Amino acid sequence: MIDPTSIPGEEKAASLAKIIVPAAIFIAIAILPFVLKNRFYLSLINEMMIFGLLAMSLDVLLGYTGLLSFMHNAYLGIGAYIVGLFLIHVSPTSLWLACFVGVIATSLIALPVGWVQVRTGGLAFALLTLAFGMMFFTIVWKWYSLTGGDDGLMGVPSPEVHLFGWHLGNTGDPAVMYLLTLFVVSSCYVLTRRIINSPFGAVLGAIRENEERASFVGINVRRYKLYGWMLACILAGISGALFILYKGYIGPTTMSAFAGAGILMMVLLGGMGTLWGPLVGSAIFIYIQDYISTMTEHWEIYLGLVVIFLVLFMPKGFVGLGNYLKRLRKG
Amino acid sequence: MATNCVCINIEENGLRSVIGPNGAGKTTFINIVTGRIPASSGKVFFQGKDITNKPTHELVKMGICRTFQITSIFQKLSVFENVRIAKQARLGGTLRIFSTKKSLRKVTEETWVILERLGLQDLAHQPAKNLAYGDQRVLEVAIALAGDPNILFLDEPTAGMSPAETRHISKLIKGLSEEISIVLVEHDMDMVMSVSDKISVLQYGSIIAEGKPEEIKCNPQVREAYLGKEQ
Repeated sequence: MIDPTSIPGEEKAASLAKIIVPAAIFIAIAILPFVLKNRFYLSLINEMMIFGLLAMSLDVLLGYTGLLSFMHNAYLGIGAYIVGLFLIHVSPTSLWLACFVGVIATSLIALPVGWVQVRTGGLAFALLTLAFGMMFFTIVWKWYSLTGGDDGLMGVPSPEVHLFGWHLGNTGDPAVMYLLTLFVVSSCYVLTRRIINSPFGAVLGAIRENEERASFVGINVRRYKLYGWMLACILAGISGALFILYKGYIGPTTMSAFAGAGILMMVLLGGMGTLWGPLVGSAIFIYIQDYISTMTEHWEIYLGLVVIFLVLFMPKGFVGLGNYLKRLRKG
Repeated sequence: MATNCVCINIEENGLRSVIGPNGAGKTTFINIVTGRIPASSGKVFFQGKDITNKPTHELVKMGICRTFQITSIFQKLSVFENVRIAKQARLGGTLRIFSTKKSLRKVTEETWVILERLGLQDLAHQPAKNLAYGDQRVLEVAIALAGDPNILFLDEPTAGMSPAETRHISKLIKGLSEEISIVLVEHDMDMVMSVSDKISVLQYGSIIAEGKPEEIKCNPQVREAYLGKEQ
């Protein structure tokens, strides 16, 4: 007899391993700054987490809604510039207000862009993301008086961090920034996971699988694509806020198409449609980038070769490799 | 392909078949009524309301559902999810971004009812792409039914099915036609003649005959155009 309230495949949703493994990873990352005295590695992991959040937000589009964005880094950039400008010109100490303003402003800019983009589909959508991305890149590059142009936005103050009434320290301190990033990124991960598994996430999945059928079951496809786009851009804006707090600086190259391709690679390296895959992909990408750039200044060439190798032999990314090993063990 | 001068009145409940030679405009007719392609002229009315060129998702909300000639399902989703998402789109709750799918109890329960009615309950956990072709066609009917239609358009539901599967689905369709209106486009003449309450015959985008199955069988114009001249 079938239980009429059960959903096939979701019966064992709360298995112990699914809670223990992420919790163990979280704790391991959280105690690192208290154990590891090497500031360099803290910064590296910090960067992995920030770009991991951006790659995860792109996965919401690519893996869950089936939309390709070539320059999702544009929305990290917009978020970062706005938070930076707010800290410089409005209030150098209001950390949370600056982040709030930055994320709201990013979504206000992303809204009309998304409105235009969802009126197309497939390749046209992807090309429009490229066109808008280039446009934003050119604006921050040429608007010297506001953004600092080529030189980038410099002298962003480091505000104090208060979390639940608890004074952590200054964002200029790598350990403090690290803990702040960990807190924000893991909260975003948990929330996004929840959204993806919700009835709303199910609609995005239906659109990815078959857009026409989705509209013929009564889904307003354009509207939900726009909601998916907005979710992805809000998350990207949050990663931008973390970026400027972490670096204290942003230049236009962070918003270039070249950097955008990097974000796409992170998603593909990790495995799209998994949410945690892109976080891993970002860690792999940034580690390789860092490792190779200590040996040669033409690190892009070697990084490209590594990525080609990984795409050819691990087409489903890191996640696919894990599944492959699991099958191998079972015989 | 085009249709012109297609004036069909479809009654509440009952089964109306639309037949005609290849290229007569049967699918085009369905596509225009269900909003898949825009009508360049003419009007479509539903329950007295003008619904010409309305977006498809709004038509579904009014209870106009359909299946496709070429199977259109959510391949990678489970059979259950295929039907569940249609039910959810119909009943609402889609904007609950922090709830679980399970929290929409009515959606889950009604999904099981549909799956059981169509005999798909044992395949519920399977990805739709793993299903046999005939089962995929039945799944497509299940998805359309989840929209709680007042009128259901079936575009060649038995295309490519085995005789046993065809019998199963025609029994199902006949049963449904007692509750809702069904418009059936079909090539299988035996099936059309046995299940239809009324038949419309299309040729070159126009209706050439309309009537009960027996009348259509005897209509000389139809025999010439569609069933072939007598030797």
